[in-house]
Amino acid sequence: MNIEFTLNGKPRMLSISPNEKLTEALRRLGIFSVKTGCNEGACGSCVVSVNGRTVQSCMMYAAQVDGCSVETVESIGSLDHPHPIQNALVEEGAVQCGFCMGGLIMSAKAVFDKNPSPSDEELKIHLDGHLCRCTGYEKIQSALRKLAAGGKA
Amino acid sequence: MKKNFNVVNKSVRKIDSLSLVSGKPMFVGDLKPADALHVKMLWSPHAHARIVSIDISEAEKMPGVHAVLYHGNVPRVLHTTAGQGFPEPSPYDSVMFDTKVRHVGDRVAAVAAETPEQAAAAVKAIKVVYEELPAVLSIDAALQPGAPVIHDEPDAHAAIPVPYEPERNLAARVAMDVGDLQAGLSASDVVLDREFYTDYAQHCPIEPHVAMAQIAPDGRIVITTSTQVPFHARRIVAQVLQVPVRRIRVIKPRIGGGFGAKQEVLLESVVAMFALRTGRPVYWKYTREEEFVSSRTRHPEKMRVRVGAGKDGKIKAIGLDCISNSGAYGAHALTVVCNSGSKILPLYRSDIIHFVGESVYTNLPVGGAYRGYGATQSTFAIDCAMDELAEMLGMDSLEFRRINTVRSGETSPVFRALGEGKAGVEQSVGSCELEKCMKLGAKEIGWKKRGRWQDKTGRFRRGIGMSALMQGSSIPEIDMGAVSLKINDDGSFNMLMGATDIGTGSDTVLAQIAAETLGCDLDKLIVYSSDTDMTPFDVGAYASSTTYLTGMAVKNTAEKVVKQLKDVAAAMMECQPKEISLANNKAHGPGGKSVSFSEIALRALYGTDQFQIGAISSAISHKSPSPFSAHFAEVEVDTLTGAVRVLRYVAAVDCGTAINPKLSEGQTEGGVLNGISYALTEEYRFSPKGRMLNPSFLHYKIMSMRDKPEIKTILVPSYEKTGPYGAKSVSEICINGPMPTIANAIYNAVGVRMRSSPFTPERIWRAMKEQGRA
Amino acid sequence: MKLTAYHRPATLAEARRLLVTLGPTAMPLAGCTSHSFVKGDDARIGVDLARIGYDGIAHANGQFVIGANARIADLQEYHAPGWVLDRVALRFVSQPIRNMTTIGGNIARIFPWNDFPVALLALNATMTIAGETERKIPADQYFDGQPGRLFKEGDILIAIAVPEVGESCGFSYHKETLVHMDFSRLTVAVWLRREGKKVADVRIALGAAIPLPDRLEELEGALIGQVYSPDVVAGAMGAQLAKLRWRSTDVWSEEYAQQLARVHVADAIGEAYRAAGGDRK
Repeated sequence: MNIEFTLNGKPRMLSISPNEKLTEALRRLGIFSVKTGCNEGACGSCVVSVNGRTVQSCMMYAAQVDGCSVETVESIGSLDHPHPIQNALVEEGAVQCGFCMGGLIMSAKAVFDKNPSPSDEELKIHLDGHLCRCTGYEKIQSALRKLAAGGKA
Repeated sequence: MKKNFNVVNKSVRKIDSLSLVSGKPMFVGDLKPADALHVKMLWSPHAHARIVSIDISEAEKMPGVHAVLYHGNVPRVLHTTAGQGFPEPSPYDSVMFDTKVRHVGDRVAAVAAETPEQAAAAVKAIKVVYEELPAVLSIDAALQPGAPVIHDEPDAHAAIPVPYEPERNLAARVAMDVGDLQAGLSASDVVLDREFYTDYAQHCPIEPHVAMAQIAPDGRIVITTSTQVPFHARRIVAQVLQVPVRRIRVIKPRIGGGFGAKQEVLLESVVAMFALRTGRPVYWKYTREEEFVSSRTRHPEKMRVRVGAGKDGKIKAIGLDCISNSGAYGAHALTVVCNSGSKILPLYRSDIIHFVGESVYTNLPVGGAYRGYGATQSTFAIDCAMDELAEMLGMDSLEFRRINTVRSGETSPVFRALGEGKAGVEQSVGSCELEKCMKLGAKEIGWKKRGRWQDKTGRFRRGIGMSALMQGSSIPEIDMGAVSLKINDDGSFNMLMGATDIGTGSDTVLAQIAAETLGCDLDKLIVYSSDTDMTPFDVGAYASSTTYLTGMAVKNTAEKVVKQLKDVAAAMMECQPKEISLANNKAHGPGGKSVSFSEIALRALYGTDQFQIGAISSAISHKSPSPFSAHFAEVEVDTLTGAVRVLRYVAAVDCGTAINPKLSEGQTEGGVLNGISYALTEEYRFSPKGRMLNPSFLHYKIMSMRDKPEIKTILVPSYEKTGPYGAKSVSEICINGPMPTIANAIYNAVGVRMRSSPFTPERIWRAMKEQGRA
Repeated sequence: MKLTAYHRPATLAEARRLLVTLGPTAMPLAGCTSHSFVKGDDARIGVDLARIGYDGIAHANGQFVIGANARIADLQEYHAPGWVLDRVALRFVSQPIRNMTTIGGNIARIFPWNDFPVALLALNATMTIAGETERKIPADQYFDGQPGRLFKEGDILIAIAVPEVGESCGFSYHKETLVHMDFSRLTVAVWLRREGKKVADVRIALGAAIPLPDRLEELEGALIGQVYSPDVVAGAMGAQLAKLRWRSTDVWSEEYAQQLARVHVADAIGEAYRAAGGDRK
């Protein structure tokens, strides 16, 4: 079957199998920030934004995003002009292996898009679907805290 | 002793971090060719069985299937999967496919097919007849006289002369005695004798093991793999496939975490064999379940601590007996249990020291390298014993640790006695700011206000605990790291090294050391790490060696380049090389003259007496300087449910000069949170037949940001004279603290001593109930 | 389970027709997260109900009517006097899963550890099923076994009505897990109405520690009309807990499950009682 959707602001058409998960479909389209760490909705490495809401792409069929707008970390900044969240994480030394980052940043962005100065509690709640084994989250938290205090994301 | 640094000791940005947060394709899975075949493995459903017959004929005929591997069509080459120096101290007890399976999740046969679904379907079509054997499912069962022999194959052997007795399930043994333990204990005023147990745990890198192999146009095998040990991977794959090392190239791209799990050569030989057989690119990635069951784990250990002290609070004798559960194979069996002795016993001053470490085979998941490497297990036992001994002496346990722990300039007979598969290396402690770590950490947590559990009331009770820690930095006189540097037209440098950045930031830290030595900015270093064709050798990312050991190799190499830069600059400025200093990407000569590195490069490459400014150099170490650390935690225990909450955690760390303080803190915090969940929430649960019941992040619980306590890292600087710019290691030591620290804090809160991990709510509740406190 | 085809009806009527036509091979889905619990290789045809509407929350006449397609995150973000399901939502799995999971999907098939059935039982919710006629089924009946038994081919759960927690009423919700994102070991929800210091009415529901979510009716009966005190609760609880069948798992023992229940049921009753008196903490 075919689906049409907006991927990072551009219209895309894709031929998929009904059983194909969104993670696989996006990776077929060269969206490599979307990682598989568990394939059961528990690690958050595959998180993308669908119509402004973060979802685990391993838990969704590609068919479900027909007509939707899908956003991944590829679209939010560039090496020359990183998104303030990307910049904050880099500046704080919050990036170790980086495997979890694509998903985690999309969740952080969802928080900051709604509220430029989220509380610690808000951040914890909205990032609770992301497992990181490297950092102990301390630097991720402090990076986002600083960004929240600055209020410009 | 240089202390004013330009690039070192600064929290510069990790050089790959911007690309990583931008989602660039940098990991093995991102580099997979579109036409790659996919591998699926048939795993053993039995803990212990002989394979009577395998019929692969149906599977071979399935759509999309290109090859099936099993014991009948691959060479039988005894080896170890442990990625260690050669010859490895781990026993040669593994083959690619065997006629026997030794744990649920052991290999039976593998399929390579066009799609993962086709490979999975073909795996189901393989017909296997097993003869089930009685299984050995605990350390105690392994040691029973007449226990089933797990490695009864005649060709299993140790590659080096160390004790190895598979006929009684003994994978390794190491022992040392200084003085007479019994006599020491008899002469002590206070004696403690306790048993401890630490359970299974998995590393849980968010990227599971993944590898791919391609046949290059010249017929060579190119393996791109998520590994901590690219050079060992090359050697072991060559061994298993029986091809020369020169035919193999191993590339390590970005790695999604390792923590020791990827110090193991598991997938590489299978994808390489398939690539050879099919001529196609072959890709294999573990599922999360496979990562839990068929990768590697932390060796469970059963430990007995005997320790005696005088009334003055001074330790007179320490005895530690450890038996580790190596699971079905002996990967790191000897060295992990050996480190259980060597990475904690030197911390306490004692004239009498006894240590026995044994490792036994069982029909359970395989142990391996895991951050902390045996020290994590034994530090729990030793530190909790010290906490209890202090209490028996009526001493503050901080003061007890303060007066008994080792100081700068002191030595320990343990260093000499316990090496890795051979005698150790005598050394004295160099830099050591443990006392200051204890002092600063105690102040931060509010140690003095902790009170006694006997005085605490109410349902929710708080307690404060601590622990004192050591580790090492590299394996002395075994590990080696090498680096090459060359200059480019614009005064930039290519730095190539075998050191294996697995997310730790070693590329950045090593570039900082190079930039400091060369007198240039960090962005002048173009770092490329771990490609066996391109970069010089390095043992890899393990044993807390990279900053310390490869850092020295970087410094050695850069110093050679410095000499060449000065020679050319001297010719350009018509002065003597010794009159020149390098700083700010320039060579500064007498009279305010200077030439830029770019000018130097252009002259050397295009101008006069052309040559390549560059060098290759390496380093070994003659000691393994310990980082030191004191950890503190405040916990709250719900006396009605046994639930424990860690409220605050403080880690004060002496890692010498922190080359990059934020990255050092990051290492500490990551290790601490991993250690906290190891103590409280991570648990392997098994069926009565040895099958893991919870191989999933849904049921094996590691913490998220919502669960973490505030973790405060205090870096306590010291200067290790043998390390690059005073640096020691930092990556492993931090994981050893949480389990004893939390156990001691729980005791301080509610008066029960947890001696078996993990400290689940029900276990704590039961412990309290047994003592009439719940 | 393997989807061999996928349909995305735009209306309820179209969805019902599809489900009837496809029969048992149809696999209704909306958020689709619970599909990870569907094992096996059988071929099914996906019928995605996510775009037939029924995804809002309406507040009128003392009750909230939640569309079955509302996401758990919608419940989390909704705020109104007398609305308490935001608290239940906040303890549900993780944010991406809260963003995907529909409340309808969550209660279409019941697992022992399900959160929402416990809360909906305590709150005396009513489920609306669209079939040949629209049927309203009270929580007590809906959750008295697998809901599937109440659905004929083509039937679709479209709404959940939850009464406001009104004047003199309080609600409390406890979920015991090892880490935040974890299957519940014990879930308890209490709705309580006070008259002065007396418990005028109470609904107590328990889940996870017992085979399927259920009300503790004997305990409720023992409390109604009583002046509240922790001792009264403790006294009444023993008999009720002794009658329950506990789920023993590889994670915890029956004895510990009972202990958790003793602690959390009592706590939750106390909190609901205080909330009914105006304490919103």
